[in-house]
Amino acid sequence: MSQVEKKAGLLRRTSSSKKPLKEKVVLMYDEIFAKEDPAKNNPRFWDELFLMKVNLEYLESKLESVDGEEVQRIQDNINSLFHHCIQALGEEHQIKVVNALQTLCALFRGVHQKNKSASGFDIINMLMGFDKAEQRMKDLMERLDSLLCGGGSESLKSLCLKLLLCLVTVTDNISQNTILEYVMINSIFEAILQILSDVSSRGQHGYDAVVLLALLVNYRKYESVNPYIVKLSIVDDEPTLDGMGMVVHQALTEYNRQYKDKEEENQGGFFSTFTSMVGSMFIADADEKLSVQTNEAILLALYEAVHLNRNFITVLAQSHPEMDIPTTPTTPTPTTPTTPLGTTPPSLDIILCFYLLICCVVMNNPELPLDPNLQTSNLLITFLKYASIVMQDTKDEHRLNSARLCLIILTCIAEDQYADAFLHDDNMNFRVNLHRMPMRHRKKAVDKNIPSRPLVCAVLDLMVEFIVTHMMKDFPMDLYMRCVQIIHKLLCYQKKCRIRLHYTWRELWSALINLLKFLLSNETTLLAKHNIFHLALLVVNLFNMFITYGDTFLPTSNSYDELYYEIVRMHQVFDNLYCMVLRVSTNTGQWKEAASKVTHALVNVRAIVNHFDPKIESYAAVNHISQLSEEQVLEVVRSNYDTLTLKLQDGLDQFERYSEQPKEAAFFKELVRSISLNVRKNVSLNTLSQGVLLKEFSTIS
Amino acid sequence: MVSSSSLMMDTFDLTDSRTTMGGARCVLWEGPDGCYGTLTVTWTSAVSSPPVINPEVALKACQEVLLMDKLQNREGSAPLWLVSPDACSIKEEDEGDEAEEEGRLHRDPSPPPRPAPPSLLPAAAASKQSWLLRLFESKLFDVSMAISYLYKSKEPGVQAYIGNRLFSFPDSEVDFYLPQLLNMYVHMDTEVGDAIRPYLIHRCRGGITFSLLTAWLLGAYSSDMHISTQRHSRGTKLRKLILSDELKPTAPPPDAFLSPTRRTHHRSKSDATTASSEPGSGLRRTGSNPKVEAVHEEPERLRPQRELVKSLLGIGKRLATLPTKEQKTQRLISELSQLNHKLPARVWLPTAERQHHVCRIPHTQAVVLNSKDKAPYIIYVEVLECKSFETSPVPVRIPETRIRSARSAENLDCGGASDANNVGMMSEHRAGSFSTVPNYDNDDEAWATDDIGQLQVEVEAQTSSSDNISQFSVDSITSLESKEPVFIAAGDIRRRLSENLAHTPTTFRRDPEDPSAVALKEPWEDKVRRIREGSPYGHLMNWRLLSVIVKCGDDLRQELLAYQVLRQLQSIWQQERVPLWIKPYKILVMSSDSGMIEPVLNAVSLHQVRKQSQLSLLDYFLQEHGSFTTEAFLAAQRSFVQSCAGYSLICYLLQVKDRHNGNILLDSEGHIIHIDFGFILSSSPRNLGFETSAFKLTSEFVDVMGGLDGDMFIYYKMLILQGLIAARKHMEKVLQIVEIMQQGSHLACFHGSSTIRGLKERFHMSLTEEQLQLLVEQLVDGSMRSITTKLYDSFQYVTNGIM
Repeated sequence: MSQVEKKAGLLRRTSSSKKPLKEKVVLMYDEIFAKEDPAKNNPRFWDELFLMKVNLEYLESKLESVDGEEVQRIQDNINSLFHHCIQALGEEHQIKVVNALQTLCALFRGVHQKNKSASGFDIINMLMGFDKAEQRMKDLMERLDSLLCGGGSESLKSLCLKLLLCLVTVTDNISQNTILEYVMINSIFEAILQILSDVSSRGQHGYDAVVLLALLVNYRKYESVNPYIVKLSIVDDEPTLDGMGMVVHQALTEYNRQYKDKEEENQGGFFSTFTSMVGSMFIADADEKLSVQTNEAILLALYEAVHLNRNFITVLAQSHPEMDIPTTPTTPTPTTPTTPLGTTPPSLDIILCFYLLICCVVMNNPELPLDPNLQTSNLLITFLKYASIVMQDTKDEHRLNSARLCLIILTCIAEDQYADAFLHDDNMNFRVNLHRMPMRHRKKAVDKNIPSRPLVCAVLDLMVEFIVTHMMKDFPMDLYMRCVQIIHKLLCYQKKCRIRLHYTWRELWSALINLLKFLLSNETTLLAKHNIFHLALLVVNLFNMFITYGDTFLPTSNSYDELYYEIVRMHQVFDNLYCMVLRVSTNTGQWKEAASKVTHALVNVRAIVNHFDPKIESYAAVNHISQLSEEQVLEVVRSNYDTLTLKLQDGLDQFERYSEQPKEAAFFKELVRSISLNVRKNVSLNTLSQGVLLKEFSTIS
Repeated sequence: MVSSSSLMMDTFDLTDSRTTMGGARCVLWEGPDGCYGTLTVTWTSAVSSPPVINPEVALKACQEVLLMDKLQNREGSAPLWLVSPDACSIKEEDEGDEAEEEGRLHRDPSPPPRPAPPSLLPAAAASKQSWLLRLFESKLFDVSMAISYLYKSKEPGVQAYIGNRLFSFPDSEVDFYLPQLLNMYVHMDTEVGDAIRPYLIHRCRGGITFSLLTAWLLGAYSSDMHISTQRHSRGTKLRKLILSDELKPTAPPPDAFLSPTRRTHHRSKSDATTASSEPGSGLRRTGSNPKVEAVHEEPERLRPQRELVKSLLGIGKRLATLPTKEQKTQRLISELSQLNHKLPARVWLPTAERQHHVCRIPHTQAVVLNSKDKAPYIIYVEVLECKSFETSPVPVRIPETRIRSARSAENLDCGGASDANNVGMMSEHRAGSFSTVPNYDNDDEAWATDDIGQLQVEVEAQTSSSDNISQFSVDSITSLESKEPVFIAAGDIRRRLSENLAHTPTTFRRDPEDPSAVALKEPWEDKVRRIREGSPYGHLMNWRLLSVIVKCGDDLRQELLAYQVLRQLQSIWQQERVPLWIKPYKILVMSSDSGMIEPVLNAVSLHQVRKQSQLSLLDYFLQEHGSFTTEAFLAAQRSFVQSCAGYSLICYLLQVKDRHNGNILLDSEGHIIHIDFGFILSSSPRNLGFETSAFKLTSEFVDVMGGLDGDMFIYYKMLILQGLIAARKHMEKVLQIVEIMQQGSHLACFHGSSTIRGLKERFHMSLTEEQLQLLVEQLVDGSMRSITTKLYDSFQYVTNGIM
């Protein structure tokens, strides 16, 4: 009997007849939306309902179509449906559990879509009834918890997580989702942790679990006590934290891999034929193709873990023997006459397969040499690579958000003493292949053989890279500020702990000077939107750090000479900056104070310029040399230190510590909103395609 | 002949019965068949040397011995098994049953039990017995002699007696001869095995360390047997028994050791019977042992340590598959960090002197050592010392990041207590603050800023103590208070920079091809301080840092042999007060192709010295220790000479080969230390005929000693002479170690038949001291002029890049 009806139901969907036959489940839904108690005539009504395949669209649309007065009328029945859903979760019959979970999904969504403007309390009342809400939600959470922690089917667990994600993202603003108050009281935090700590369940549900956790943490974050924040901040079980790190690691690695795939697709043999002349056009074209969907949800999870949990910092440096894809030179430079690969390179999957094959062989036969490019990776390295990709293009809003979040995470890392310790650990050397934006004035340095260095070098490289690549009209002031602050924090650590990092500081200096130059030349346009003096002050103070405290962290005595050389060489920039800030600070205006701070900060730089410039000129005059070599200038610098007096500036090694509240609160609210929308979109797609799941259970039973 | 008598002279010097023993001495040490001790002289005539050992004889011998013992020995030094006469009599009964059973079960149609030979008790025989007994009972009878008798005597009675006697030596002294004991157990005849077994079983019950060491060594020494025999050999069986973890201290310590003649397959039965017959004593004994209760809860005592070793060796094997040093090091670090998750645990480093639990492996400090195709690596291990690693509670895990709170708790006893003292409090405090203060960040900040401030204070304290000028540069906060501008001279900053750089101890450049150079060059104290600062356990009083080299794919049995010989010579030289300096480093054999080595601290190889410093050895000494006339240089030079003399002799006596500069270390005090005893005695690398000289003495070495005519060079030669004379005096002690290990061994160092003879000859027993002096002159001269040394160095440079 039901067989026939089911067929009819299928027919309905395909044909567009006006008065179709309805499937049984639809009829049953109709009964629920009628006035009467559906169980009145058929005592087995609820039992039967959960044996039927859920028709989510119908149920949802039905809920949406209910208008104000009707709500009152059918509320009892909906409450009853909700109640029976929860009861069905405890059933042994897994089909029933599946159907109940999906029905709940539809209920939450339908009710919310209907009542976008309604207060949360009305929604709770409609679903469960005020008086019983607490008990119902407690039951629901307990059932979900036991399903998630139990040894049941993995598909069920996955569906539970989907339901939770669906519930959490049902409103645009997570903090307005009043039902979550019950999720706060009846915590499923432990269930999430359990999923993350187990290797196999982590593999299957880790992603959903981590995203769910990240969202739950953001529920009324700034207004009330969120137990998830509290609990997350005190987790110290390493396997669990490690598991969380692994999930993030995998997601970011996947992104990096996809990006690389696309990049290499675009740069097949013909790339070489384009010269830099048309390069910009081509790159613009390629960029579009290269935009892989960013994943802010996972990044948010990483942020929350780093920000809230001190123990998570160790996970960042936790390395996993990773099968990193070897960087084969796929972009032949135009100068090389023979291209090794005329066609597109083999897909990375094939390379990976080949790789695994080699590895298998090697396991059995230790004589076979492995690829020396194979690298051990860790979460931090993967994150830095990810950041280098995301930061390349900040025009897109998602990417801008991602880049900002990356920089915030780096800020937290740079402030953490333990993280600093391993960033600067001389024994932990890695080659980090950061992505560099192809630009007109420089070749894309893919093949550059990066030396193995402490991780902090990669962070600094990333910062330098950002500084030199984002001097554009639509100036990302906020990102620049964060960037310079990160450098400052790292320098403070080095100064305090007297760590002499062997880094090519010159690159940083020239990047910073170029930044000042850019600020100067775009003064008027930038001033319309930003306080450029604040950034200028930070940059000048970085130089002051080097000038006054260089003795504590510079690697060689020569590097101090080079600093002076660089300042004297680019003295024009500092002179102009001084003129500009002097001009602004003498005028009355909103920037007066900010500009005068910069004038004070410039005192030592100006002293250096004023001291050495005449010395160098006279040296050139005495020796009749028009163009002094670098070595000659350095010689002049070295021999004239003693007559130069500097002023000790206060608070150079002090910095404002990062705090989310109140400065960043708005950003995170928006970010969570956009993540919610995104997750909701993806979850709905997934829950609907659960045919496979049903098949699995129907064959079992 | 000569040698044995000389030893006997030494040992018998103080006994009063010296003259009477003179005649029997030769008998005791003589040839294969006639070598029975005095005890047997009488018996052999009666029993007419049966092909298999007659249990009766063994019984009699034992009873005899015990009787004598009972009569003579009522002093404090009585063996522990003779606590009361009652116990003794019970035991003897037991013994009797045992022996009878033994007789019945005997495979061979043994002759029917005979009455005790009438000639057993004549006065002459009795007196002979008594002097051997008196020797055994005398204070001079040490482990070395016991081992020697055990090995040389074919007399079951003597063997059984010594098996018993082992119990009365301090554990640590017997432990030194454990390789010898086990090798005898594995490779010699049943009697020796049975004599040793009770002792081994007893000690295995007593401790996990001993159990594991024994199991590892048994595995290693059994590996030379043919596969088919190996499986059923005694060694393999005992190893299985130990690893099955049946030997727990639960049962009353088996009185198996009271009946040395008992066979293996009777053990369990007799255990049961004795346990039931003497329930009282059994209870009393276990009752006093606090371990007993715990045993039931810990079913596998050996597992944690075995797991640790297994994972360390596994890492070594996996590393060997990676092509570059850089990858190896990275992989090593990542694997160790995983291992860290399981610590602290009831695991320990067997190379350490004191009891401890391993609490953390600072994984980033580990490095891969230089090796062509294997991947040995050095790890540093943080341990917490404890009374007994078996019974003391395992320390509580402290998460990595807690380092900061730990630090501030230590330094700010009162101030820091409120916010960061206790972890549990911390989290509560933090959690609690949520209800009242909505802003989480503020709370966090307050805590963290404090922390950074703390760090600042520490660093300042450190700098102010070292030099006063640089305090100025660090102090910007203090200048905040005085509002007047502070001026500094740029020249000062620059000068401080170069001074600071000059003051840091010379470090080696980081070289991806030689990652260990930097790690090994760092002074140990600095390393300990640095790691302690970065460790969450660093604030604990009982915190210590240890290190160990893990070797995979290398047979360390020769190394172990060399270690024993070195230790023996070291103690001989100490005893004879000759200031030769050597540094035996501990070896742990874990199987025939893996093990661990105790690293030599503060030492880098001469190869690394040359490659990194690009200086001659003398110039390097001058750079490290100061100019010729400074105290530091002279001290270093003396150390160098004393160690050179020590190792020259070692190299000569043991014929240590493969002496390239990668195998010679130089420590921070100027000592040289030879490592890698892979080619000793009868083996040399590929037998190319290089290194024909007695030892390695390059002109560089002579330069450091101050040239050929210098006083120090004369001192060097004199030391060698004194060392050789001292060693000669105690040759037996050295020979014995090597000789026993030769038994059943396929090691390359025992290749050929003349190994022991050759070794013996190198002691030159027959030469007078004048002749010896001449010999030393010749050896030194020959070594210095040796073209092959130079050839070998250049050969190594060409083939392996070792400078």
